[in-house]
Amino acid sequence: MESVRKKDVPVVTVLDPKFKYEVAREPGGENIKYCFQCGTCTSGCKVAELDSKYNPRKIIKMVILGMRERVLSGDFIWLCATCYTCHERCPQDVRIPEVMNALKNIAVREGYIHPAFRAQAELIAGHGRLYEIDELANEKRTDWGLTEIPQGCPEVAEIYGITGLFDLLSREVGGKT
Amino acid sequence: MPGMLQDAGREPRIGVYICHCGLNIAGVVDVEAVRESARFLQGVAVVRDNRYTCSEVGQKGIADDIKEFKLNRVVIASCSPRLHEKTFRTLMEKSGLNPHLLEMANIREHCSWVHYDDPVAATQKAKDLVRSSVARARLLQPLLRTKGQVLPEVMVIGGGVAGISAALYLGGMGIKTYLVEKEPSIGGHMAMLDKTFPTLDCSLCILSPKMVEVAECENIKILSYSQVEKVEGQVGNFRVQVRRKPRYVNEDKCVGCGDCVAKCPVKVNDEFNRNMGTRKAIYIPFPQAIPPAYVIDDENCRYLTQGKCKICQAVCQRGAIEFDQTDQTETIEVGAIIVATGFEPYDPRGLPEYGYGRFPNVITSLDFERLICADGPTYGKLKRPGDSTVPKRVAFIQCVGSRDQATGCAGYRLDGGTGSRGESTDPKPYCSRVCCMVTAKQAFMVKEKHPDAEVYVYYIDMRTAGKGFEEFYQRGRHEGIVFLRGRPGEVEEKEDGCLRIISEDLDSGCILDLTFDMVVLAQGLIPPGGLGELAQKMNLSRSEDGFLMEGHPKLRPAETAIDGIYLAGCVQFPKDIPDSVAQAGAAAAAAAVTCSKESIEIDPLGPVIDEALCIGCRLCEVLCPYGAIKVEFTDKGPKAKSIEVACKGCGVCGASCSTKAITMKHYTDSQLAAQVKAILEVV
Amino acid sequence: MKMAVFLGCTVPVRNLSYELSAKRVAGELGLELVDIPEFSCCGYPIKSVHHETAYLLAARNLALAEERGLDICTLCSACTSVLTEVSYELATNEALLDATSETLGMLGKKYSGKVRVKHFVRVLYEDVGLKSIERAIKRPLDMFRIASHYGCHYLKPSKIYDRFDHPEAPESLDRLVSATGAFAVDYRTKKDCCGGAILGVDEETALSMARAKLDDISDRGADAINLICPFCSVMYGANQRKIAANHNVKYDLPILYYPQILGLAMGISHEELGLMQNPIRPRALLAKIS
Ligand SMILES: Cc1cc2nc3c(=O)[nH]c(=O)nc-3n(C[C@H](O)[C@H](O)[C@H](O)COP(=O)(O)OP(=O)(O)OC[C@H]3O[C@@H](n4cnc5c(N)ncnc54)[C@H](O)[C@@H]3O)c2cc1C
Ligand code: SF4
Ligand code: SF4
Ligand code: SF4
Ligand code: SF4
Ligand code: SF4
Ligand code: SF4
Repeated sequence: MESVRKKDVPVVTVLDPKFKYEVAREPGGENIKYCFQCGTCTSGCKVAELDSKYNPRKIIKMVILGMRERVLSGDFIWLCATCYTCHERCPQDVRIPEVMNALKNIAVREGYIHPAFRAQAELIAGHGRLYEIDELANEKRTDWGLTEIPQGCPEVAEIYGITGLFDLLSREVGGKT
Repeated sequence: MPGMLQDAGREPRIGVYICHCGLNIAGVVDVEAVRESARFLQGVAVVRDNRYTCSEVGQKGIADDIKEFKLNRVVIASCSPRLHEKTFRTLMEKSGLNPHLLEMANIREHCSWVHYDDPVAATQKAKDLVRSSVARARLLQPLLRTKGQVLPEVMVIGGGVAGISAALYLGGMGIKTYLVEKEPSIGGHMAMLDKTFPTLDCSLCILSPKMVEVAECENIKILSYSQVEKVEGQVGNFRVQVRRKPRYVNEDKCVGCGDCVAKCPVKVNDEFNRNMGTRKAIYIPFPQAIPPAYVIDDENCRYLTQGKCKICQAVCQRGAIEFDQTDQTETIEVGAIIVATGFEPYDPRGLPEYGYGRFPNVITSLDFERLICADGPTYGKLKRPGDSTVPKRVAFIQCVGSRDQATGCAGYRLDGGTGSRGESTDPKPYCSRVCCMVTAKQAFMVKEKHPDAEVYVYYIDMRTAGKGFEEFYQRGRHEGIVFLRGRPGEVEEKEDGCLRIISEDLDSGCILDLTFDMVVLAQGLIPPGGLGELAQKMNLSRSEDGFLMEGHPKLRPAETAIDGIYLAGCVQFPKDIPDSVAQAGAAAAAAAVTCSKESIEIDPLGPVIDEALCIGCRLCEVLCPYGAIKVEFTDKGPKAKSIEVACKGCGVCGASCSTKAITMKHYTDSQLAAQVKAILEVV
Repeated sequence: MKMAVFLGCTVPVRNLSYELSAKRVAGELGLELVDIPEFSCCGYPIKSVHHETAYLLAARNLALAEERGLDICTLCSACTSVLTEVSYELATNEALLDATSETLGMLGKKYSGKVRVKHFVRVLYEDVGLKSIERAIKRPLDMFRIASHYGCHYLKPSKIYDRFDHPEAPESLDRLVSATGAFAVDYRTKKDCCGGAILGVDEETALSMARAKLDDISDRGADAINLICPFCSVMYGANQRKIAANHNVKYDLPILYYPQILGLAMGISHEELGLMQNPIRPRALLAKIS
């Protein structure tokens, strides 16, 4: 059979039955197994309407099936706009955007961090915020009659150190540092 | 009575039986260890373990032991006494022992089932329970049962198809039956339906003859426009207080000519037509109503609200209008009660994303029944409410308010913070069981009226289990109804009143962006309003879903945990008409069995009052939830007296009495103390 | 009423006019906003990368407010989201609170779960109240038609926001707009997301999401969009010209922050509210008032 299949037939032969439990243990992923594939999430998802790569219901099904590599390495998990539309409506309380966060967290540990998110994480480590507050910025603030803000916040980097996030950011695919 | 009272005097000789219940108990609890732990307890004459204690072999073993070891007390460690206490008490009686010398330890529900993940602790708990049961058994006293009378009459509460059917079965058996209905007419929801699946018979055409039969049956008395206020007593002898609202129209005089209606100046929304049409302040809910008498709606009648009008009285030639009617309370005594108060449709305003209540062309399935019914507001012409045009594209959305864990949408403060609308708008987690077929039927009816109409059904799963149901669903597909797997997130209204639905079609993998003239929401079935209070009045429990709890989910589906109270129809759980009628039959049979008895034995569980100690303080009288203990004046002053038939043996009086004048017969202080002491012993 | 104002990363650098107008209006309405200089990033951008780190960043910020005995008032909806979530979780999950407190202890901080978080606009809606706001109006803006963009994290997930407004039929912003005398424009895509969260992942999709709303609001003849979040402002303000150019359309839709609208209605000058510093200068709009 295999030899006669056309290349574009998506045949899956290897599944990881533990993946769904792994996701359910991750903060935010707890309710994933409640999903009964009703499609409410995708029906109301503005991202799914515009970008065929993204379909929250399908992603959840892929997790339940155990397509671990495909899900974690795919950039589609980074496409959730976390608008919580589906979160409010999901009849099974799957809390989809939180599930997506759980998946992204696992992906990061496997070295699949999306570059945009890596950049943000690094900026925050450096400045304690997304945007650096330099002298110029503070000058402008004082001109406007607003209080000055200290440059940087070293405790943020300390937190990264405690949680091991610095190590994670330097991980390669496969999860090795 | 067998079960000699002289048992009391003898030294206790206790037989202890530890049940395996197959693997139900033995799979978790180490039964042999429990058996050994009981062997040397004081008073124990024999200990055994049994695979199935309730089986014939198990029971025979006990009977033999009673003879051989001259047992005078028995402890059985098995399942809940609710399941088998009766079985084993009967066994004791047959073996010549007083049935109240039995004590059960529940090591299945309380040990192996709840602690299935911790066998060691479960075993320890089982040992503790057995030890404490033996301690109590040593102090058990034989008790004499009294007999209570049984009134051969039944009350059915709720006059939907379930209540009607139950009443007819009972009436047919010659049992006097009271049918209490809160609305002016019996009929329930079935009276509102147009046709019924899967055979498409006209609903009223099949219901109305039954309603007439009820009215004509000499054994049935209809108490319409009535509510149950209070229920006292127990199986065989319930006293039910029923409050009858005034109709202001004499049922016997009114011939239904309708002269009054023509002249009544007040028009209001017609709730029978789901507020899509209007009626007068004096009205009959629908032409086939039973009783076939008019009623004046006191919230809207001009005379009753403003003191001026009485036009109806002037035009009525039969003198049937009686404005001096008032609330009447009647007390009715019956031997058994059947509760058949049905359901309430889910109010989809709790899911505002679907637009019900905001968009006129979004309706519910019950609205649809009225809209397509020849007696409905449009005389059977399918017209959408927004602009009375004929809808050419109709969508149905399934599971509205059902199969929803409700965490997202329950309890919002709608209306700018004026408070949540309560239970009827909170979605429910269960499947409402009939709405798939209701939609299949309604979609079919659209096609029947307008074969060129486009009909789409958005569903999660189609559930069509039932005789002829799958075939009906197939017929619908054949007619061209399109079933779409995928639940929409939202309905949007367009300027022309049409409705846009964007959804994922799971099967084709496409996002569908479709526009419809009308959308029908398949609303779920939820417990009827006021069920909580009614249940409380009768001490009935509700299951987690809010419906009434049956006696046993498999074996006693038409009974309740309270002897003499039975269930029929949707009040137990959503179901269709045939199932409601079948359950009504079962409930009627069960009630008839009760009523056929000459007398009923009453468990001697109530209080014994030591008159020397009783100071007549009335504390027990005030606290007893069943009015079963009253202080009376005797020649020795005021003394408490127990009213045995009303007493449920709850023990409140015993616990409350400050002079310890009250002893509960079967739960004496010394028995309970021994039990507690034993359980706390460290072994 | 006194609260700690949480500015977040974007507002104090890129949306000074929002900060300025919020503080100005708050002062007039008797709401004292206290700056806490040690506040860092709220933690929101890290949540999808590392949950624990995000929670600790948020908890550290909550601890800073707790030290001063203040609840938090936020300006950015993303900050509102993560701070509310973490304050909710820590208040309801004791084990998590213990674990978090232990780590915060390593930074010399402690948190006992007391701080409540509310968006500035929610404070206006619930605590200051529509009545007080109406009383403060000196120059009703009845010449304006304003479309409100609620955004997502201002009210969702509704459970952690005590369901103060209905996510499927929100009305708080419209009522606040109406309170200024302006006409609150209703529009079909009102509840839609701006797309900001995926701007860095799929710019085309993100901008298309923003565009759908710009089109809809323009069609409705609104004079301006009412915003309450600096990220939404990036999408509808900073990127408005780009969207117009990409799709070959034209918009003239100034964005205003709610405190600016309110400030105008309270009779405060547009200079004091920084209106001309907004990403799109509301010239035509201002001409309407004078
Ligand atoms: C839209 C719709 C379409 C349906 N179509 C079909 C169909 O085609 N075929 C089919 O088999 N089934 C159908 N059903 C299901 C059917 O309606 C039910 O099976 C049936 O009505 C159940 O009967 P019931 O007597 O249990 O409850 P109900 O019909 O609800 O009757 C209960 C009665 O009790 C009364 N009552 C309530 N509370 C009290 C109280 N406290 N005191 C006194 N009286 C009280 C009520 O007023 C009512 O008269 C449909 C249901 C819906 C919602
Ligand atoms: S809405 Fe919920 S239950 Fe339905 S498919 Fe999406 S995640 Fe699954
Ligand atoms: S939260 Fe994510 S998946 Fe859900 S609707 Fe929004 S973008 Fe789509
Ligand atoms: S007596 Fe109870 S526990 Fe024992 S076998 Fe029978 S059902 Fe099971
Ligand atoms: S008295 Fe009441 S019911 Fe009679 S005609 Fe007047 S309004 Fe109608
Ligand atoms: S019967 Fe069908 S429509 Fe009704 S709740 Fe069950 S699955 Fe949903
Ligand atoms: S035990 Fe006492 S309180 Fe309970 S029902 Fe009987 S008399 Fe009333």
